[in-house]
Amino acid sequence: MSTDVMIEANGLTKRYGAFRALDKVSFEVHRGEVVGFLGPNGAGKSTTMRILTCFISATGGTARVHGYDVFDDPLEVRKKIGYLPQRAPLYGEMSVWEYLSFVADMRGLETSTFKKRMKNIVEVCGLATSLGKDIRDLSHGYRQRVGLAQALVHDPPILILDEPTSDLDPNEKAEVIKYIQEIGKERTILLSTHNLSEVEQACARAIIVSKGRIVADGPLEEIRAKSGRVRYVVQVHEKRVFEGGPAKKAPSAEEVQAALEKLPGVTSVVELPTDDRAHSFQLAGAQDGDIRAEIFQLIVSKGWLLLEMRREAQKLEDVFKALTKNDERRDRGRPIVEDDEDEAEAAAEDEDEDEDESDEDESDEDESDEDEDEDESDEDDKKKKG
Amino acid sequence: MGTTFIIAKREFRSNFDSTLAYVVICLGLILLGFVFFEFGGGFWQQDRASLVQIFAQAPRGLSFLIIPVVTMRLLAEEKRSGTLEMLITLPVKDHEVILGKFLGAWGLVLLLVASTLLYPLLMFWKPWDLGPLDMGPVYSGYLGLVLYSAAAVSIGLLISALAESQTVAFFITFVVLFALHMVGSVADKMPTPWLREAISFISFDTRLVPFAKGMINTRDIVYFASIAVGCLMAAFRALERRKWA
Ligand SMILES: Nc1ncnc2c1ncn2[C@@H]1O[C@H](COP(=O)(O)OP(=O)(O)OP(=O)(O)O)[C@@H](O)[C@H]1O
Ligand SMILES: [Mg+2]
Repeated sequence: MSTDVMIEANGLTKRYGAFRALDKVSFEVHRGEVVGFLGPNGAGKSTTMRILTCFISATGGTARVHGYDVFDDPLEVRKKIGYLPQRAPLYGEMSVWEYLSFVADMRGLETSTFKKRMKNIVEVCGLATSLGKDIRDLSHGYRQRVGLAQALVHDPPILILDEPTSDLDPNEKAEVIKYIQEIGKERTILLSTHNLSEVEQACARAIIVSKGRIVADGPLEEIRAKSGRVRYVVQVHEKRVFEGGPAKKAPSAEEVQAALEKLPGVTSVVELPTDDRAHSFQLAGAQDGDIRAEIFQLIVSKGWLLLEMRREAQKLEDVFKALTKNDERRDRGRPIVEDDEDEAEAAAEDEDEDEDESDEDESDEDESDEDEDEDESDEDDKKKKG
Repeated sequence: MGTTFIIAKREFRSNFDSTLAYVVICLGLILLGFVFFEFGGGFWQQDRASLVQIFAQAPRGLSFLIIPVVTMRLLAEEKRSGTLEMLITLPVKDHEVILGKFLGAWGLVLLLVASTLLYPLLMFWKPWDLGPLDMGPVYSGYLGLVLYSAAAVSIGLLISALAESQTVAFFITFVVLFALHMVGSVADKMPTPWLREAISFISFDTRLVPFAKGMINTRDIVYFASIAVGCLMAAFRALERRKWA
C-alpha cells in the first residue's frame, strides 16, 4: 500500500456492445504527479475515469488505485479519491452548503473537520457568496465550482477531475489551475481537459488518448519533442521596405512565401492571419537545425522589413493535432491521406501499427465484425500512404 | 448503515423542496377526508364506529396519487441528470443506495399514513369523542397499511431503476399499482377456480381486507414482505447493470 504508484491501469478495455471505447489502456500515475489526460471528443477519457472511480466496470484489464483493486475494493478506492464527473451533475434542489455537508456526511467527516476544511475550499473555489443558494439557481460555472469543492471536501490523496475548468471564467480557471499546481505537490491528480495551455501550466506529464488507445504518454518535453520539428514565426511589413535597401516596393504575400519556401530545411510555410500591416508566416523545420540566420539573411538581401521572428519548439497543441489527426479525419468523413508536412503523424502511425499486430494475435476469440472492418480500413489507410 | 441513513434522510427531505409535494399531500388528505365521510355510504351510515373506510380507500389514494409521484424520481431522474454518478462514486455500496432511497420514500409514505390518524383522533378522542372504538382492527389495519406501502414503494423504486425517464416511471408505476388493486374485483368473474385463486393471490385489495377486519394472517404479511424484498433486490441488480452496459 505504501508504494508510490497511486493509479495503475493495466490493459483496460471497455466495450459498449460491439463498440470498443477503450482498448488496452495501460498507464501509471505516481504520488505527487499531476497528469493531464488529453484526447479528442469520444476518445475514452471519461470512460477511463469512470472505471477508475468504480462507477462502471472494465470489460477487460485491471486497475488499482492507492493499491486497491477497483473491482474488489470499490469502497476503499472511492474513499481515497475525490472525483469530479464531467459537467458536475449535482442535486439542484439542495443549497450549496447542504450539498457539501451531505457529501461530507457520506464521507464520514466530523462536522468540525468539515467546517475547518470549508474555509479553505470556499476560498479556492470562490463560493463564499453562493453557499446559501440553491444549486439549480447557479450558473454553470458556479455549479462546476461546487463540483470541485465536493471533490476536495475530504482532502483526498488522489483527485480525478473530468474537465474541471470547462465552464469557468478565465479568472477562476487560473485560480483553479494555480490551486491544482499547489496541491499537486503532495497529491496525485489526473486531470482531463481540452485546454492544452492549462496542461502546460499545471502538468509535468500528459497522457494522450485517441480512439480508446494511448497514443502518447510521458513528460511534456518528451511529447513536444515527439514531432521532431520546430517552427518559426516570421512577420514582414506589408506596406514598407527597408530604407536604402534593394527593394522599391513592399512585397506581396506570395513573394514572401515563395522565398521562404526555398530556404533549406523548410518543410512547410503557412500564412497566419494578421491585420493588414504585416505578412505573417509559420515555417516548419527540422528540430536539430536552426535557420534563423538564413531567414534573416534572406530578408535583408530582399530589403524587406522584418517585424518579428521567433523559433519555438512544437507546441503541445500541434503534437496533439498530429497524434489524433486520423480520428478527426474519420469523424469528418474525410479520406485519411498523409500530407507531406507530417512526420509526427507517421510516428504515431507506427505505434498504432505495433498495437494492431499484437491485437490480432490475442483477440481472435472475441473479434467482432465491426472491429475487423476497422482493422481493414486501417490497413487501407496504410496502403494509401505507401 | 450510516450512509444508508444519510441517503434516506436526503431523499426524504428532497420531497419537501418542491411545492408539488405539499399540494399532493394536502390534496390526498382532503380526498381521503371526503372518502371517509361521504363515499360508499360514508362514515355516518356505518352501524359501528370503525375505520374500515380509511383502510379500504387510503391504499388506493396512495397508489394512484402519491406513490408513483414519490418513487418516479428515485433513480430514473438521477440516471438522467447524471447525479447518480456523483452519488455512487462516494464511498457507498450499491445496496445502500437502493435501501437508502427506499427508506426515504417509504418514510414519506408512512408519514402520510400516520397523518390519516388525524380523522380517528378527531372523531374518537378530541374534540368530538364519539365513544369507544374497537382498537384491534385499528392496529391491524395500520399494520396492513405499513406493509402494503413497503411493497408499493419498492415496486415504484424498481420501475424507477429500470425506466429511462421519470415520466415513464410514473406511468408504469401507476398502471402496475392500479392493476394490483383492481384485479381483485375481476376475480369473481373468472371462469375457472384456479384463475380466481391466482388473481386473488396477487390482489392488493384482497390481501388488505383481513387486516382491516382485525385479522393478521402470516401469509398476507409474507406476501407484502416478499414483494418488497424481491423488488429491492431486483432494483439492486438493475443499478448494478450500469457497470456492464
Ligand atoms: N453508455 C454508453 N453506451 C455506449 N457508448 C458509450 C457510452 N458511454 C460512452 N460511450 C462511447 O464511448 C466513447 C468514449 O466516450 P467518453 O465519454 O469516454 O469520451 P471522452 O474522451 O470523455 O470525450 P469528451 O472529450 O467528449 O468528454 C464514445 O465514443 C462514446 O460514444
Ligand atoms: Mg468526457
